Amino acid sequence: MRPTFSDITIVIALELIGAILLRFFLLADDWRIVGGILLLFCAGFAVMQFRSDWESRIGDAFNRGTRLAVGLAILLVLLFPLALNGNTYALHLLIVSQLYAVLAIALNFQLGSANIPNFATGASYGIGAYVSALLAIHFNVNFWLALPAAAVAATAFGFLLGVPSMRTRESYLALVTIAFGVVIHQLLNNFDWTGGPNGLVGIPAPSLFGHSFASPIVIGGIKLPSQANFYYLSAVLVGIAIISAQRLHGSRIGLAWNALRADELAARCQGINVIWYKVLAFAVDAFLAAFAGTIYAFYISFISPDNFTFLVSVTIMTMVIVGGMDNIFGVIVGAFLLTMLPEKLRAFSDYRILFFGIVVILFLMIRPEGLFPQRLRRYGGSE
Amino acid sequence: MAAELMQQGLNWLTLGCIYALIAVGFSLLFGVLKVIHFSHGDVSLVAPFVALAALQGWSASASGMSAIGLLVACAIAVVATGILGVVLDWLVIRRFRDAPAMMALVATVALGIALRESVGHIFPNGHNPQPFPRLIDANFNVTEGFNLPAFNVLVIGSSIAVVVLLFLLLQHTPLGVRIRAVSQDREAARLMAISPSSVFRATFFITSAIGGLGGLFYASYAGVTRFDFGIQAGLIGFSAAVVGGLGSMPGAIIGSLLIAGLDTIVQATLPDGASYRLVFAFLLVILVLVFRPAGLFGSVAVEKV
Repeated sequence: MRPTFSDITIVIALELIGAILLRFFLLADDWRIVGGILLLFCAGFAVMQFRSDWESRIGDAFNRGTRLAVGLAILLVLLFPLALNGNTYALHLLIVSQLYAVLAIALNFQLGSANIPNFATGASYGIGAYVSALLAIHFNVNFWLALPAAAVAATAFGFLLGVPSMRTRESYLALVTIAFGVVIHQLLNNFDWTGGPNGLVGIPAPSLFGHSFASPIVIGGIKLPSQANFYYLSAVLVGIAIISAQRLHGSRIGLAWNALRADELAARCQGINVIWYKVLAFAVDAFLAAFAGTIYAFYISFISPDNFTFLVSVTIMTMVIVGGMDNIFGVIVGAFLLTMLPEKLRAFSDYRILFFGIVVILFLMIRPEGLFPQRLRRYGGSE
Repeated sequence: MAAELMQQGLNWLTLGCIYALIAVGFSLLFGVLKVIHFSHGDVSLVAPFVALAALQGWSASASGMSAIGLLVACAIAVVATGILGVVLDWLVIRRFRDAPAMMALVATVALGIALRESVGHIFPNGHNPQPFPRLIDANFNVTEGFNLPAFNVLVIGSSIAVVVLLFLLLQHTPLGVRIRAVSQDREAARLMAISPSSVFRATFFITSAIGGLGGLFYASYAGVTRFDFGIQAGLIGFSAAVVGGLGSMPGAIIGSLLIAGLDTIVQATLPDGASYRLVFAFLLVILVLVFRPAGLFGSVAVEKV
């Protein structure tokens, strides 16, 4: 079905407003502007909560104008660094948010699609970061080779993590993953060859076609700070994560995961190999998380066990639940919101972690389905 | 050698009792509410801060720190922690009673963060470790080379007393019958004119107060208290309860003794034991759950169609 004129207007207006608000939010120093934008954001959701017809109208517009929406979004992502006046801190926040968005999408395969709790995504993230950093420091392996190596190592960990999931369920499974996460964190913290609590320093910056990622991008007289390299790299990763999430959702694997979520016993009766799909979910999660970990390690060029604690895993879980389970867009919004919020609450300095906890509880209480609730699976193509 | 063995055995029992006081709360709360109250560890570790605040108030009015002052402060702390549990249930947790299990888990983790940080801010200089006194500072000299500190006797004795009292309460009082009824079948209990919410309140008070006692011992055993002790105490208490089987009282106690035992052995035998203790404790958790997926004393829920 072709998009109507009003569809096009809605899509363009919403994406532009979103981008402009994000820009002001990132550059704002004054807590009043931050608070104002947050209020606007909340008001938007309040309207959606009470006027579900508007919500479905917007949804329809995006469904009909998918190509336009995606094209415009890619354009906005490409041009966004130009609008930041060379503010490196804002770029840094964006990079970290994008990495967390990848982690949240990774966890969403499990928590959202199959309803399997996993409190060890932070550990997979850490394994990815440490494996690639150790390879780069000790064996001079370059970034592009360290990336798949880290992914393989983390996937192996994911399979290992999946083994107990064959028998345990719900709270017990949650504890098994918590235990794995704590064990990995403690080991990273205690081994000598991981640098102990001091972590690893001096991870070299990657380069592509002779262009080092530590140097600024210069195109036609416009100069972007060196962080822009990693901004585009992580944006590509987010794109890959979104595409693979959608492909998986549309495949038999995604369908099997959804069946698992609906009723494990019924799924088993339908001939779905429940154990295999559960373990697969763990492996896919770890695989994607390792990519994010590798980029993080090479971007910051310093990692320590404190980047990969239990609380990091909890934060990723929260991003998925607050954003909306099994809704890729919602999960990304959740990741951006929960990464930027603590940073933007710096005006309250010491109180920001307290506010963070309270905000999470409030979100869960007020919109229990998540900001963007999961949509019903549509069978048999277009309407 | 024998003296050292006895010393380690004593450490094991003491640590096991402290963990058990916290683990019992996790287990009972899960049995009754079917919700994992992940901030239970943080609630428990509020008690030492309340006790310290009460002590400071006491020594401002009376002169010096006396044994009675300490006792009163601890009593206040235990009761205050119980009330805190009820308040948190009323404010937050009751809204997640019928939500999916993972949502309640994440919400209570966030609640724990908020609670920890509030303690750090409200208590003067609360983000730094605070020295916490030994509750009793005496020794019984049993044999040559082996001292029996009164503190360990106090911890073990009062833990056993609390557990026995809890058992009697659950088995032989009208309130206990109501609690067990709600934990077995909430709907049926409601039909028998038992109000679940008053049972929840009572359960929260009891478990939080017991956890508060555990928190006081935890801080006193360590000699200091920190605003973020709650994470570790909560993780260990939760693990002990799950290893034993959620909802089972004897399970929680045996799980605590197991984890404390491993803890003591690792610290006593390995050269770098103290830094690896969590690793071994959680490897034990993984192993137990691989072979007994519902914990040692938990019953595997068989799904009927």
